[in-house]
Parts: sequence; C-alpha cells; structure tokens
Amino acid sequence: MSNINGKVYAMNAITPMKPWKTWVLRLIFFVLGHVKSLQQDLINLSFIEFARWVVVPRAGFPQFGNGQEPEKLTYDYLLFFSNFNGTWNQYIDAFSAVLSKGLNLIWQWSEKFPGSVPVTLFKEYIGRVQFDTDYYFTAYPHATANDLKAAHAVQASYDDLRSRVNSLSDAEFADAYMSFVLQVQPNLGETGEAPVVF
Amino acid sequence: MPNNSGKVYGLTILSPILNDDEASPSHDLQIRSYLAGLSTGRESPFAQAPGTHLARLVVMDDVIFVGAPAVEEHLNSKYLIFESNCDPGPDGTIDSYLQGLAEYAGAHLDAIWSHCVGYPGASDRAAFVRYMKACQLETTFFFAAVNDKSVPETLRALQTQKAVADFVETHQGMQPGQLRAEFLQLVATLDAAPMPAVASATVSREMKIGGRNE
Repeated sequence: MSNINGKVYAMNAITPMKPWKTWVLRLIFFVLGHVKSLQQDLINLSFIEFARWVVVPRAGFPQFGNGQEPEKLTYDYLLFFSNFNGTWNQYIDAFSAVLSKGLNLIWQWSEKFPGSVPVTLFKEYIGRVQFDTDYYFTAYPHATANDLKAAHAVQASYDDLRSRVNSLSDAEFADAYMSFVLQVQPNLGETGEAPVVF
Repeated sequence: MPNNSGKVYGLTILSPILNDDEASPSHDLQIRSYLAGLSTGRESPFAQAPGTHLARLVVMDDVIFVGAPAVEEHLNSKYLIFESNCDPGPDGTIDSYLQGLAEYAGAHLDAIWSHCVGYPGASDRAAFVRYMKACQLETTFFFAAVNDKSVPETLRALQTQKAVADFVETHQGMQPGQLRAEFLQLVATLDAAPMPAVASATVSREMKIGGRNE
C-alpha cells in the first residue's frame, strides 16, 4: 500500500448511485466542464495536481467472457481519484471549507452522503468509501502543484529574456534583467523532500 | 472530450482480475505482491516509458456498502485500476502512450496484467492497445492544475527554475556588462544540460525523531 509518493497523496473513493441519478450528475459535470468560471474554487485549491470523477454504469464494468462472470449490480458507481499535496486531513478540511457547495452538488446523488458540512460526518463517509493505492508513481516527487506552476512561470520569463538578450545593449539588458527578477522572484521557491508530518 | 484536459489525458482503465480458486496465492495477491516490490523511482516502468505525469495501480476488491437503507451488493470480479495522467499523442488519442508503455516496460506490464482476464501480452502491440482500450472507462470530469505542458517541458521548467534561483542569488549588484555575459553563460549551460531524470530517486535523509507521537 502506498497512498503517498514524495509530496503527492493518491486518494481513491467509490460511492453507489441510483442509475437515474447518474444522468443528473453527468449533466452537472457537463456544465462544469464547459463553464470554466465554475471551476475557479477547484483551481484555487492549488494543492490538487490532478483529479477526476468517473461514472461507471452498473453494466459498464469491462467484460471479457473467458469464465468471467458478468456483474449483476443495482447501482451505478462513482469513482473519484485525486492527486493532492499535503495530508488527508488538510485535504478534506479544505474541501469541506472551500468547496462544500460544489461537493454537495457532486456527491449528494450518492447513497448515504451526509453532506460536506459538518466535516466530521463528511470525513467519516470519505473514510468508509476510500480504498488504498497499491502503487503510486509521480514524475516529480519533490514538487507540488504550486511548484509546477511556479516553474512554468519562471520558464516563460526566462525564455522571453533569452530571446531578447542578443539584441540588447549592456544597459538595456540591465533594465530587462531587473524586470525579469521582479517577475520571477515570487516563483523561485526551492523544491525538495516532503516535510515529515507528525 | 472529458478524457482530455488541454494537452493532458486522463486515462482510466479497469481490468478484471482472474478469479481462479486453484491459484495460490490468488491472482489479486500476486499483483499486489509484485507492485509492492516495484520501483517508484527511475526504474519504474512509468519512468522508463515516456509521457506519465502521475499514475497509480490499485486492486479494487469490491464495491463498498455504505449502510442501510442502501442495498448491499458485491462484484463478481476484482479489478485492477490503472489511473494515469499522461501526455497523449499529437492527435489527442492515447494509442502512442500505450504503445510506449508496451515498448519500454512490456515485461513489467506482463508481470502485472497477466493476472487479468483476456490480457494478450505486450509483445503484440496492436492487441495490447486494443485490450487496454477495451478496459478503458470514459472519464466523466477531469481536472488538471497544469494542463498545457508535457512531462519533458515540466522537467525542463523545474531545472530552469532552480538554475535561475541560483543565478539571481549569486549575481546581485553585478555590473551590466558582466551580468549580460554571465547570463549568456547560463543560457549556454542550460541549453547543453541533459534532460533531467524522471522521478529522480528520493534523497535519503536521517530519521527525524522527537515528534508528538514519540
């Protein structure tokens, strides 16, 4: 079991849904996917690297025959996978505090979902529907989502200065370099090992 | 398409695990055992093959009963979940990523997926890609914090960030002519630098003791 690799935590959860409700949820996700302003809270939770929801219809589990018994299920299922920085408690607390309306909109269609506030019952529910990761890989174990955004911002500023350096006099370069430093200085944090959490 | 977010692809695969009462240890346990010993560093199959930002493998034993009045039900098979956040091909599809996995990490894939129903092996690339796509589930909603950069672009950016931080720190108050010359040297150094390794090994450190739980 390895839910953690470097600075990233892998969370898996599965919740049952009455089949008719999954169509409501699909519609909500469709709107969420096409109206980017509705994703702002998710973007503001800047410790999430990747997250996804997958609706699995009760007859949608892959079947290959060869002795594999077909599934006979009453419910459709909602799978949730998240890759986030920080601890489980920090993540769930922040989700509950910042995204409560959005989470309720997504999970209220799942059986027995208690709501994302108060957080105690929400954590109990997540704890019940979560299952552990067996293998977890990240290409950047020492970097958080914010580190990645910062690195790309530095790269963009660096590329810009680099493209102009040969056309500038020494004095012009000094001015351009000063502007460059002002641009990149909020994004020069160092990556490294994850802190030990007691 | 919900599987795509910008230039990143959210691949979700569920492969049914062989259910054989005669197998000992059981196939799901053999998968778990193999995964427990599999490197997550530079020797990882996902580091050897190109294009993986983050990926996980999970044995899903069953669906979860959340309590009455919900109906308790169970799966007839266990499933191997492969969740990958990866770079698709130029056409936006997943084929070239899957072919890369088969080419660079076929032995690992065979060791893992040979415990799954219908797995054809990685040596027949076309059959492998067909099988994986037959196991694929459409992602309903996919969020990526950075969705316009590939793995090499991100590795390069992290390298540049560190080099720039060091440069800024050590070149404060320098005369313009020398500063410009040194910056050109930085450009030359970064241009010549090899691509940083994917999933560079975790640096060993001394055990920190004395926390609240001791």
